[in-house]
Amino acid sequence: MMEILDPTTEAAATQTIAYVPRPTALQGKRVALIQNTKYNSDRLLERIGNILKAEYGVSEWRMYNKHNASVPAHTEIIEEVKKSADVMVAGIGD
Amino acid sequence: MAATLTSKRFTARDEADAIEMAFDRGWSDGLPVVAPTEARVRAMLEAARLEPSHQVGFVAHRAVSITAEKVAINAVLAGCRPDYMPVVVAAVEGIADPRWSYHGPGTSTGGAGVLMIVNGPIARELDINAGDNLFGPGWRANLTIGRAVRLVMRNVCGSLPGLLDRGTLGHPGKLSYVIAENEADSPWTPVHVERGFRPEQSAVTVIAANGPHQFYNQLSNTAEGVLTTVADDMRISGSVMGQPTYVVVLAGEHMKTIAADGWDKKRIRQFLFEKTQNSYAHLKRTQRMSGAIASGDEQKMRPLVATPDDILVVAAGGRAGAFSCYIPGWGSARSSQAVTKEVKR
Repeated sequence: MMEILDPTTEAAATQTIAYVPRPTALQGKRVALIQNTKYNSDRLLERIGNILKAEYGVSEWRMYNKHNASVPAHTEIIEEVKKSADVMVAGIGD
Repeated sequence: MAATLTSKRFTARDEADAIEMAFDRGWSDGLPVVAPTEARVRAMLEAARLEPSHQVGFVAHRAVSITAEKVAINAVLAGCRPDYMPVVVAAVEGIADPRWSYHGPGTSTGGAGVLMIVNGPIARELDINAGDNLFGPGWRANLTIGRAVRLVMRNVCGSLPGLLDRGTLGHPGKLSYVIAENEADSPWTPVHVERGFRPEQSAVTVIAANGPHQFYNQLSNTAEGVLTTVADDMRISGSVMGQPTYVVVLAGEHMKTIAADGWDKKRIRQFLFEKTQNSYAHLKRTQRMSGAIASGDEQKMRPLVATPDDILVVAAGGRAGAFSCYIPGWGSARSSQAVTKEVKR
């Protein structure tokens, strides 16, 4: 018999992520659309924003552009989203 | 009393059972591993003189702390010798550096490998290959150091192929992609010295990179002739519009031909920078750049990389053969930059 050690990350008990509660409805909510700058991602998100407005009653949407697709959203837009939006749409599509 | 290892422990019947457990638990890259026993893991840590809880790197985007203990376990899995551990640690520091920007190359459909160029005395001490069969196979250090880094990316940072690592094609260098510079025969300034280190220091440079592209020139006996060939190959390569870092690896025969004409690395870079530019018209005709061809587009040139310094020149590869290669970096220089870290011992 032999004992071996786990090579994977085990989340430390002290590490937690504080999630904002999910809204129960989108009616009247402000939406942030996070654009990764790939071709046509702005068009796709604009369409999503318009559907959320027409069919789910969100009050407004605003698009935020990342510096480029390969880097995380920068602090300025994260701070702006925190102030001016209730929900956000972020994703990646190639 | 040595510090406690805090990783979860599993019991295997024997070495063969441990290998199967590693496959079953998703710890392996697809090849058998060495069982990470406490004694083997401690030997790794001692070789690098690191406490298990020491933070080698913190990948901010993933909120992942990479501890020396986890690096050591993965280095054992990969088959490293304990004296390789300082190189693995330096490379992991490199990929966790914000300039390397893990977020992109650790995940992208673009399928980046981590090209590692080892310089300084440690390369010779550990027999990290800088010669024949440069990219493999045949050398334990080259194959296991890179494998250890990729296992850290998989097991610690979560870059699991098909999940977080969405490489469309990937490439064989994603298993291991380690070379040393042939400093013994090179007439040029080594990579690490160009990047701010002293010749007697050891260092590893990590670059998010596509696979190597070999080129052939047995005809020319001038620097300009050989480099004209590689420039013509490079001009349309990689993502062209991305303007990443390029690595040009000059092997024995080409190295001698180019050096005999008195060209240094700076002159090589400048030449390649000038000779790898594409016209806007060509980029538009070949659907690499959007938009219709405008007047002046035939003359308007776009460089392959942003500056000549984005081309790294490395002396390495076998002594015989009129072959060398170039390696397109992944993405762009603004998405991920080459990072050089000292190998601390």
